Order: sequence, then C-alpha cells, then structure tokens
Amino acid sequence: MKEQQLTTKGPIAILEKIEESLEKINEKMEVIIEIQKNSDVNQSRTTMLPDASLDVMTLLSMPDHLRKTAMTICRCGRATAEEISVTTTRARAVESAYLNQLVIMGYLKKERKGRKAYFFVDPEARS
Amino acid sequence: MSKIIAVHSYKGGTGKTLLSVNLAATFAKLGKKVCVFDLDFRAPSLFAILNAQGIEHWFNDYLNNTADIDTVLFDLSKRLSGKGKFYASLANPATEAIRDMSSKDRKWEMRALGRLLALKETLLANKKFDYLFFDTSPGLQYSSINAIVAADYVIVATTGDRSDVDGTKRMLVELYNLFEKKTGLVLNKVLDGSATATAKKAEMSAKIKDAYQVPLLGLVPCFCEVLRAEGNFIFAEDKPDHPFTKILAEMAKKIETDQI
Repeated sequence: MKEQQLTTKGPIAILEKIEESLEKINEKMEVIIEIQKNSDVNQSRTTMLPDASLDVMTLLSMPDHLRKTAMTICRCGRATAEEISVTTTRARAVESAYLNQLVIMGYLKKERKGRKAYFFVDPEARS
Repeated sequence: MSKIIAVHSYKGGTGKTLLSVNLAATFAKLGKKVCVFDLDFRAPSLFAILNAQGIEHWFNDYLNNTADIDTVLFDLSKRLSGKGKFYASLANPATEAIRDMSSKDRKWEMRALGRLLALKETLLANKKFDYLFFDTSPGLQYSSINAIVAADYVIVATTGDRSDVDGTKRMLVELYNLFEKKTGLVLNKVLDGSATATAKKAEMSAKIKDAYQVPLLGLVPCFCEVLRAEGNFIFAEDKPDHPFTKILAEMAKKIETDQI
C-alpha cells in the first residue's frame, strides 16, 4: 500500500521532499554550530529579551561577522539569506546561520513564505 | 550617481558646517539638486549660517515621524545663480527641542536610522536629488553614527591639531573600518600657506594617507575671511574667484567623477 503511494507520487516529488527536509536540518545544524562557535562572545547576548533593538551602538558592539549581516539587513529592511549573501559575497548557508542567530538574539524576526524564509527588522520598532 | 555624503569630525570647530554648506552650494552651481541636513541636534547652527527665517517644520519633526520629508525641506535656490537647486533641512535650535533630542532611547535611534535610510528612496530615487549632505555633530554619538551608517561616503574634517589627530585616527580605525565606509579626509585650517602648492600637495597627500590610512579629499588653508564671513553669505556663490571656492570645486570634481 505504502509502496503504491510512493510510486504514484513519482520519484522526483519524493526527492524534492527529501531535499527540503535536508535543507531544514542543515539550517538548524548551522545555527547550532554558529552558536557554539561564538558562545564565549555572546553568552549573555543569546539570552537577550525578544525585542532587543538593532541600533547603531548595538551594531558597533557586535562581532564583525554578525555586524556585516546585520548592517545589510538594516539597509534592505527585509530579505532572504540568498539576497543578503549577494551583498556580503559570503555563502548563503553562512548568511542563513548568522541571520538565524540574530533572530535568536532578538534583533530580527523571521517569517516563512512557502519554501522561502524572510528576515526583517521588527516593524513595530521600525515604524 | 546620486549620493548621501556625511560630513563628520572627532572634535568640534573643524569646519564641518561651512564645508557642508559650501560643498553643497558648489554642486548646486554645477546645476545639481542638493540638500544640506543639520544633524547636530545638540548644537544646531545651520539655521544661523543660512539665516533662515520663518521655519515651521524642522528635521527633528521628520525623525520624530510627525512631519513628511516635503514639509521639512527649505528651498534656498533663489540665493544661488544658475539652474541648480539648493535645499536645507534644519535642526530646531529651541532649548526644549535640544533637550528632547538628547533624551531619546535606543529604539528611537533605531527608527531614526530607518528614516535616514528611507531618504535614499524618497529623495534620491523619487525626487531626483543628486547629493544629500549630512552635517553631523562631532565625536561618537547616536545622531552622527546613524548619519555615517546611512551615508554612501563620509568626509572627515580635521584640523591636524594635536587634540584632534589621535582621536581622529582612533575614530577612523574603530568606527569607520567597522562599518566599511568609503571615507575621504579634509585637512582644514592648514597654517602653512605653501601646503596647497602643487609640488607640496603630493607630498602632503602621501603623508596623510600614511598617517590616517584614508585618502585625502582636500587641503584647505586657514582663510580668516571664510571664518569671519560665517552666516553673511555663501562663500562658494559670492566669491567665485577666491581660492577656497576653487578648492571646493576640485573636491566636488573628485566626488563627482568618483575618484574617492
């Protein structure tokens, strides 16, 4: 029965599903690795309030790798990891990890639309 | 290519405001559409320099989100000859307004940065302005750093005084480098009159590049008449043959042809 279902769906659909799941796992792994890497610097930061503001003094005190990502999102307002990576010329996966870290730190918000994840500065704070 | 240019310095009195106004006027004389913004909310001075009367809305109001950008722009094009457009947006000099601006919190400063960044869309893209000049307050404070972050190019004015040199160097390394800003240095009030002679210029330029690690945009000798003229007229307009006006024209050319 199960085999029949799989064959009717077609192998491409199944592979796409697997790819999507792998991407999700990969994103989560990147966040975990990134947090571990910077745990000394940001130990107090990761437990920050969920509505921390992304102001210039905060940008100044950030480690270089995160500042670059945060500055870029400040300029575009709302973007995917892919779009940020074009400006910073770093790999999409790297930007994805940094963006997710900024979300955990409370500086950014994340919204999923279909397969794409958009990151943005909290509009309530910005409006 | 249109640009936001921030004019900043470590210490006060280095000539930021006169440089901003006169450089903007130089571009306006070339037929450009420009606007100067007073971002020195703690010690506003642009309204006095431009002798502005009857201002109803200030740049403070735009940042406070209580006024649209159109209502805070003050048209001064009539003061200049030629086809260029010259606007100014002023900081409110009332004590109450200064107190209000110095008691803003981080959230407000973050929104202010958003409003400054929005000028790229509203003024540069939609209203076809060529250059916006942010005349900032000296040192490291919110309004200045917001201006630097929002700008495409930053001019740092320094007098080369002992009290200014170390701080300027540190600021360039610890602030500008972190934000990866395109920066040019203007050495102002140079006492050695021969410093602007062509032969010596290259030597000075190399020296400055070495000391500050930033390219030199211009050398301005100490002109007492420029300082004394403050407020009475726009130098670049009223004294077209003065050496100061010529130095400004050279700087404008460098900026326009992107030799920065």
